[in-house]
Amino acid sequence: MTRITLGGAVLRGTVSTALVASLMSAPALGAAPVDLSKWSPEYVRSIAGTQDFDTAADCAKVTPLDYKGRLTFWYQGVFEGDPDLLRQYYKDFFETFRKTYPNIQLEDQALTYNDLLDKFRTALLGNAAPMAVRLQILGGTEFASKGYLQPLKPEDVGYSTEDFWPGAMKAVTWDGVTYGIPTNNETMAFIWNADIFKRAGLDPDKAPATWDDVIKYSKQIHDKLGIAGYGLVARKNAGNTPYRFMPQLWAYGGGVFDEATANPTYEQVELDSPQSKAALQASYDMYVRDKSVPVSALTNQQADNQPLFVAGQLGMMISHPSDYNVMLDLQAKATGADKEKAQTVIDNMRYGLIPTGPDGKRAVVFGGSNIHILKPEYVEGGKVDEPAAKAIICMWTSPEWSLKMAYAGSNPGNLNGFKTKWMKERLDSIKFLDVTTSMLPYGIPFPALPQSPEIMNIIVPDMLQNALTGAMTVDQAADDAAQKVKDLMGGL
Amino acid sequence: MTIVTGKAEARRRLQPGWSGALRKIWEHRADYAYVLPAIVVMLIVIAYPIYYTVELSFFKTPPGLQLRDKSFIGFDNYTAILTSAVFWKVTWNTLIWTLGSTFIAFVLGFATALALHRDFIGRGVLRAILIIPWVISAVAASYIWKWIYHSDFGIIGAVLVGLGLADRPPNFIDNVSTVLPSLIVVNIWREFPFAMIMMMAGLQTVPDQLLRAARVDGASAWQRFWHVTFPHLRNVSVVTILLLAVANFNSFIIPWIMTGGGPSNASHIWITHIYELAFGRQRWGVASAYSVLLFLMLMTLGYFYVRALSGNDRKEGSA
Repeated sequence: MTRITLGGAVLRGTVSTALVASLMSAPALGAAPVDLSKWSPEYVRSIAGTQDFDTAADCAKVTPLDYKGRLTFWYQGVFEGDPDLLRQYYKDFFETFRKTYPNIQLEDQALTYNDLLDKFRTALLGNAAPMAVRLQILGGTEFASKGYLQPLKPEDVGYSTEDFWPGAMKAVTWDGVTYGIPTNNETMAFIWNADIFKRAGLDPDKAPATWDDVIKYSKQIHDKLGIAGYGLVARKNAGNTPYRFMPQLWAYGGGVFDEATANPTYEQVELDSPQSKAALQASYDMYVRDKSVPVSALTNQQADNQPLFVAGQLGMMISHPSDYNVMLDLQAKATGADKEKAQTVIDNMRYGLIPTGPDGKRAVVFGGSNIHILKPEYVEGGKVDEPAAKAIICMWTSPEWSLKMAYAGSNPGNLNGFKTKWMKERLDSIKFLDVTTSMLPYGIPFPALPQSPEIMNIIVPDMLQNALTGAMTVDQAADDAAQKVKDLMGGL
Repeated sequence: MTIVTGKAEARRRLQPGWSGALRKIWEHRADYAYVLPAIVVMLIVIAYPIYYTVELSFFKTPPGLQLRDKSFIGFDNYTAILTSAVFWKVTWNTLIWTLGSTFIAFVLGFATALALHRDFIGRGVLRAILIIPWVISAVAASYIWKWIYHSDFGIIGAVLVGLGLADRPPNFIDNVSTVLPSLIVVNIWREFPFAMIMMMAGLQTVPDQLLRAARVDGASAWQRFWHVTFPHLRNVSVVTILLLAVANFNSFIIPWIMTGGGPSNASHIWITHIYELAFGRQRWGVASAYSVLLFLMLMTLGYFYVRALSGNDRKEGSA
């Protein structure tokens, strides 16, 4: 059931008459979707807090609140790089679910981004998977293509496909059938320390405009201050690596395939193109030639960059809006002089758009997670409690919880989440949120292919490591990676 | 006249043996009943996985398909492994890792055991301290050492830079040349206490009167060690070395947590490579073939281990 805060909206005077009218007439589960063609920080602010949702009442239409059942559920949970705020929301969600559905026996298990795929794949081999799972965006097509997942679309849990980002829906679609629902979608932004910029002789309020500028700034910071300029990460089997390298690859005009184009076909491997090699060369220049990035980049992930940044030992990095909250958490844990030092860093923390390539192309990974229901034959016990699974899916993908569960680090998968009061609260309390929402239109989804996890988690990081360690030249590393992708696509 | 054929003769000769064996089994039926549950469990959790791994090693398992869609390819996985450059690189890494870790951990453990065998004040405390690396969880130790080695902010680097011995922190684990030796050091640190304990136990068995007699006869310290002590420790040394070698061949935690096999596969050893092939890249068939090869190697080591143990038993039995 929907309760529309019409009075509030009119009083604020920020919402157009047409939008208000559409909100007034729209039932909760068929609310007018957010107009993506108008997407801008101003538009996001204008719709925030304009609509109320009653999650329990909405989900009761999918699964009655007194339903008695049992659900096994695995999800990619919070990890060491997430802020405490998000930890609290996860706790709140499961408490609320248990209160809302007191007769569903929920057996939930949280796994980190890097462990979930391995564990889930192993469980599937032994027909011991959970009934429902929330996977990173990369995982959907892999498991759908292998036939492990049940068809599942937003309409099955009371929502509309239009309520979700079209790019996110592509990631859960295989052979024209939808196998999951996006829970959250994200784009990252470029973060820098204005104080470090100033001390290095750079404009403290201006982010590097291009990736070539990033290389120059990184070197200048390193040479003048003796600290790392840019927070390069190149660890293998870590989601952080593709999330930071792919924007660079795309900005230079490269790609694994043609995923950065409007209508990708994924037929031609582009990792060995001159543009892709130029992107790899940029990383090489920073790591090997200029030595302006952390030496530990090959074993680092973003969680390793965060302490460096808050300690004032790192000038720039790519990350979520949540890193601001992470810095606050880290500062709260610091003692003595470190506390003051961390506060200086936080005061000087700036967010900007991710730099462009030489031709003005700006790109960022359109990331996120999806939620799925397994087929009974792959589940422990051979049974799936569908109403119970749909209950938790309805709740997680609701405007309320898809926003709360992405409160600090991401954006709601359900676009109606942008209309909730919590979105307004978020805009008021989370510094720099505008920047990451501004990056959303530049978002490029990973190739919607079953082979994507291997490409992004193993082949791309391998390519970086081969070039950065000198095990191969830049050309050889790119050619080697392209060949591996071709072999993979050829079934080898 | 009775005509005895060759076959009947052979059967006659075998009968006492067979009936003897059966009689022995019958006499010890209670003992067999006691170990039966363990044997059944082992058959389920060890024998079947071994069988399935061997079977899977003859199948192609494309990563884009379910395991049940596998296709039989005979020995192709083995051929692919043995002709791939990665196999030889990983094998070389595994040999360096296993031999380096085993040999140095043993020598260090043995030397420490000899030092602690003497009576001195604080021996008990020192012994307890030295056992700590062995009892610490490998996962915790790996994370601690990762920070000790950190190429930007590691403790070793900070000390060296602080003392003016280096301009910048040494690159231990982000360098293809130094990563494996750096991991071996961590492994030795964790394993030498095990060798120390084993050798200390062995030293307790060296008869004091022999050492005293050798001293009376004018034998030097080295001569007493080489001619009296060491012969008594030969068997426990063999067992210790074999156990360390098997453990090192099977190592996973330290290299996986500290480097994930990187950078650029420079610290991949067999087990980490098999894990990545199977769970990261879903090449179950190839990973199974690797596992079969590893199994055969470990069985060979296991054979020598059992031989060493039964050699001990025989000697003790005849003494």
